[in-house]
Amino acid sequence: MSRKIVLFEREDSVAVITLNSPASGNAVTVRIISALKDIRADLSERPDIRVVILTGKDTFCCGTDRNALSSFKNKEALIRELSAAPLIAGLDRPTIAAIDGDALGQGLELALCCDLRICSERARFAMDQISRGEIPWDGGTQRLARVVGRGKAMEMIFTGTVLDAGEALQTGLVGRVVPSAELMPAAAAMARDLSLKSPLALRYAREAIYKGIELTLEQGLRLEADLYFLLHTTEDRTEGVRAFREKRPPRFTGR
Amino acid sequence: MSAFETLIYEKQGAIAWVTLNRPKVLNIYNIRMRDDLFEVLGSIKDDPDVRVAVLKGAGEKAFCAGADLSEFLTAPPPVEARRVRFERDVWGLFLSISKPFIAALHGFVLGSGIEMALCCDIRIASDDARFGLPEAALGIIPAAGGTQTLPRAVGTAKAMDMLLLNRWIDAEEARGIGLANRVVPRGQLLAKADEMARRIASHDPVALALAKQSVVLGLDMVLGEGLHLEKRLAMKLGLPHCGAVS
Repeated sequence: MSRKIVLFEREDSVAVITLNSPASGNAVTVRIISALKDIRADLSERPDIRVVILTGKDTFCCGTDRNALSSFKNKEALIRELSAAPLIAGLDRPTIAAIDGDALGQGLELALCCDLRICSERARFAMDQISRGEIPWDGGTQRLARVVGRGKAMEMIFTGTVLDAGEALQTGLVGRVVPSAELMPAAAAMARDLSLKSPLALRYAREAIYKGIELTLEQGLRLEADLYFLLHTTEDRTEGVRAFREKRPPRFTGR
Repeated sequence: MSAFETLIYEKQGAIAWVTLNRPKVLNIYNIRMRDDLFEVLGSIKDDPDVRVAVLKGAGEKAFCAGADLSEFLTAPPPVEARRVRFERDVWGLFLSISKPFIAALHGFVLGSGIEMALCCDIRIASDDARFGLPEAALGIIPAAGGTQTLPRAVGTAKAMDMLLLNRWIDAEEARGIGLANRVVPRGQLLAKADEMARRIASHDPVALALAKQSVVLGLDMVLGEGLHLEKRLAMKLGLPHCGAVS
């Protein structure tokens, strides 16, 4: 059996997706896209997996594979076949990008699809598609500015400049920086913490935030209220309030 | 090099340098500067040689310390002023330029100074820069886009802080809130701006313009629409040239 180019491991209700082609910097290829599609299909039938960590072996992801880029004769087909962002953005549960090494170009675009980002001290970030005469096409021009603000996004996209971990933290691109050896334990601890919370509350919180930001405030408040009252019908809410009153940790079932 | 009454416009290769040039009065923005700026911006927009522009202020003390208040009490009646504002829509023109624009900011960056800086895409501040919006204390509001561009750059809370309180902030705080991309020592400001401009100018101008359009227009859309826009714009570019090592 050939070595898997994308690993999928789980412990309890946390899954870890690891890009596993370090020899090519985990560059995105059609095969990697195919593996991610399978994983996403799998996860859509596994509500017991509540949090996903996305990471890479030896490095995070250095961008789109050069050979893959040259193999297309048609730009539309290239973009269609090599888009990976929707696969990560569509996982429909809290996601954490654990970045050790490089998140460049499409690699950074993938990291931006996760809800949370933590990195190691040696991590580097760049949106460098401009250096081959391209603009980001896997969501980078949309998601980067929404995370680091338009000024920093413009600078990164126009210059292709590389940010180190410190600058990534300062600009909000990542939420935390830790030594390399502590990266996966930190991501796992964060994921475990999330997995103990009510999955429905987390799902609706994500929806309220992501959709609400795109609406007028008034519309966003309506959405929030609607989602809040939906949660009233769940067992998890009853359990949450009861556990609080009984001064014990809650046990959420996702119902 | 062209000298206008209140501006200096110079082209260095593909980089256009615009210098606000009323240093004796801290480069404050008057009607003449509006007209000069309107012409220069039109030039930048239409000149195929220009790939990047940099905006800076002459003199030691200020990038631009605001609007020329001596003109305020002699201004035309509001109906007339409003008509003129949109006939010579200098801010609309500024924001419609598809080429990357860098602001090199030193000293006082107040009122219309901040607003001009916010019409640029990237802001580099020297360590002596001080940013403020004094309009509220003068009984007016920013009229060069500040009430729109500042919150979009730094978030509502920080924008309200500056606008309602007339609180001035230094370069470090500006960087912390996203108003400035970088802070550099005063002596290095122009060198850094030049370095960044050259780096940008070395890239494909069509890709730069499409990238800017994608970011700017996309932020005014819901994410889903923005992603569609990005793909449509990306498809306007040919297949990537993969020779360069990134």
